[in-house]
Amino acid sequence: MAVDATGVGGFGDPLPESDIVDGFDRLIVSNRLFGADLNPTVIKKSGKGAPFLVRPHPSHNRMLALWRDLFANRALPQEFLDALAPEVLGLTHADGLLLFGNDRVLYDCRIVRGEESVGHLTLCFYRKREPVFRFLPFPRRPGRRIVYIEGISLTAQSTGYASSLFRRYERLFHDLGFHRFRLKASLSVGKYYWAKEGFDFEDRKQFAEMRENLHALVRRLGLPVEEQEIRRLNHASTVAAFRRDLVIPVYRNAEGYYAAARDATHTEEVRFPLGKAFLLCSAPWDGFKVIYTDTPRRTGFVWSERFLDHGTRLGHVESPRRLEALLAAIRGGGMRESLIFLEPYVPTMPSLHAVHDPAYLERFRGAVARGDRQFAVRDCSISEGSYEAALLAAGGVMAGIDAVFSDRADNAFCAVRPPGHHAGRAEAMGFCFVNNVATGARYARSAYGIERIYILDWDVHHGNGTQALFDEDPLTFYCSLHEHPSFCYPGTGRRFEKGVGAGRGATLNIPLAPHAGDREMIGAFEREVVPSIVAFRPELILLSAGFDAHRDDPIAELECTEDAFVHMTRRVLELADRHCQGRVVSVLEGGYRMESLVSSAIAHIRTLQGKEVPPCSSAGG
Amino acid sequence: MFVGRRMKRDLVTVAPGASLEEAARLLKAHRIHHLPVAEEGNRLAGIVSDTDLRNATLGGTFGGSDRGDSGRPVAVGEIMTRDVVTLSPGDTLDDAMLALSRERIGALPVVEGERLVGIVTKADILSALLSTLDIGGLGVRIEVVLPRDVKEVARLVGVLGDLQVEVRSLVLAPHGGDGYAVFVRVTTIDVGSLKERLREAGFRVPEVAEFLE
Repeated sequence: MAVDATGVGGFGDPLPESDIVDGFDRLIVSNRLFGADLNPTVIKKSGKGAPFLVRPHPSHNRMLALWRDLFANRALPQEFLDALAPEVLGLTHADGLLLFGNDRVLYDCRIVRGEESVGHLTLCFYRKREPVFRFLPFPRRPGRRIVYIEGISLTAQSTGYASSLFRRYERLFHDLGFHRFRLKASLSVGKYYWAKEGFDFEDRKQFAEMRENLHALVRRLGLPVEEQEIRRLNHASTVAAFRRDLVIPVYRNAEGYYAAARDATHTEEVRFPLGKAFLLCSAPWDGFKVIYTDTPRRTGFVWSERFLDHGTRLGHVESPRRLEALLAAIRGGGMRESLIFLEPYVPTMPSLHAVHDPAYLERFRGAVARGDRQFAVRDCSISEGSYEAALLAAGGVMAGIDAVFSDRADNAFCAVRPPGHHAGRAEAMGFCFVNNVATGARYARSAYGIERIYILDWDVHHGNGTQALFDEDPLTFYCSLHEHPSFCYPGTGRRFEKGVGAGRGATLNIPLAPHAGDREMIGAFEREVVPSIVAFRPELILLSAGFDAHRDDPIAELECTEDAFVHMTRRVLELADRHCQGRVVSVLEGGYRMESLVSSAIAHIRTLQGKEVPPCSSAGG
Repeated sequence: MFVGRRMKRDLVTVAPGASLEEAARLLKAHRIHHLPVAEEGNRLAGIVSDTDLRNATLGGTFGGSDRGDSGRPVAVGEIMTRDVVTLSPGDTLDDAMLALSRERIGALPVVEGERLVGIVTKADILSALLSTLDIGGLGVRIEVVLPRDVKEVARLVGVLGDLQVEVRSLVLAPHGGDGYAVFVRVTTIDVGSLKERLREAGFRVPEVAEFLE
């Protein structure tokens, strides 16, 4: 599964250090390598870009140490400079300099068209040091490699130059092992431009404030925007593209900065679409863009610390540790940079009421507010954070659906809890309170206008809640693979349950005998599930992905391994490609043994990313 | 427990003089298999089943036609079963089950004196059984094997109580020569932990695998 790295430089194995030192010397001789002091108070070289002082270069050892740390010796200095200066849309770089600072390397150049100078670019490469212990400033370990865009300016707005250049850079820096772009969006157009280019807010609090400000603006102007449309914004790019159909006036000053209200200096009225206008008037923001390691598919990952706020009593198997373990594995396994992290949001009441009885939700809220320790049944253990977490879990599925339909991701995995598939219109049971998948399905229909939704539930338990909610709905197909109801909770999901009324035929239950394993699971999947997806031609596939059918899971008696989950995931993706542009949103349900939950979920997520997952070593034993 | 509480009261009946066609139409329209034949005053005269109709029309009594020797249409009264096994509302479901099983029939009209008041069919017995055992309800069944000692049963119920398990139904059946099999229907999803607790308390909780062999 080698990634084709020949796009820009073909950086591969580390090069001998003697060659790199040679390269330094050659650049020094031709006056292209110096030292630099970052000094905001002194000078601005040529007026634009980063303020720094050019100094004599530091010692070769220091430079070599930096080169090793930042570029893993994968490129020669001259090679690196060349790769940074491709010809794009008739523009090239001139006077490209490599500057060695204390802990960073800078690249500084003029952008030229032929002989004519049209702009300026300064990049800075460094490595963030991260504390080893969160509560102690030292020791620190080297963290992510970062490309900081100190400044790019073009005298004339050259159409598409920056976009094309940074698209190339993304590949280049990925190959060199960099993790992120960062910048400060402070120029008037920059505040909108960088968002449009996929840069997001570094500071999530600031982003939340921006959302509030947008809300206030919408209210002030009395615009026809629903609250949920603003709540679900979770990336600067979604703000930039927000409500293009609503055009509002903003006011420009002499320097080209914008304000939402007319004042002494901001006098020139201009009209822009809502999102663009709003960002142009926003405060400067620190932006970042993840340089994704290449995965064949872009997979979103919905996660929030607030899912851990749903606490359960001691000894309860549905504990916050499930998600902590999964997240630790994703962080530790180097998957973090290959996933598009998505924030869930709390759905508005109408979205929840599309699935749940308002009085039921109110009872649930009341029980949590009163400090009850369980709700409805003993299985449904609760704590003070349970209500919010349960709502947020449903909003997590909605965020996953947003990402897939807005093309931020090809598919998504929602690492949510509490789980949802047992929750009915007015019932909490089996660890479930709000039916996450059902809320997502109803939302996808109302927000994106799709009709045919296929829900595949391979949790070991039958999703009685989901089935009951869509019993009579011919356009939402519910299919469940589970341990036979005579042996397994909740005792529903018999083969003859095929839907009711108009929905007859749009429910498919496949019970598996106790101790059935991969062979039986995959066999039933191929024989029955695959043809039913093909026949249904869905526009979206939702997965109720529980991993408790694993042989090591204590809660039930199926004996599957990671291989079954990988196989089904891969096949679902193939079918989704054929019918619905690969749109798959997978939602975590059960899985109660940490090791098997983590290994199964990781194998599932990697398969969603389109990666090959080696067969599970314990399979077939 | 009593037939009077479980029987179906809104009856579909047919008069003895009705044609076989009419009877067949009623069976089909109501998706049922048995028609009590009632005379005036709801007096039970007999019962006719879909099997009786089939036998009467397909090469049966009347040579494959629903017209008799005289050429006039055959009436229900001519083919009905007159010697009907009946129950009274005061009989029990046990009576009903035993009668259905021993007589190998499908339905039992319920009469007070001669007056027809209801009917109990195999389907009614099945649904009574299902609701008694709570098989259709949400939950899961676990099996515990006990020595044949009522004190052990009491101890099991005590432990279930201590664990705060919600029990939906509990069936005690003879098992082997000297034991009980207890089938407990509980509402918890975490059956794994429950079985573990019971085993820790010294109960024998067989794995499903033991039943498959």
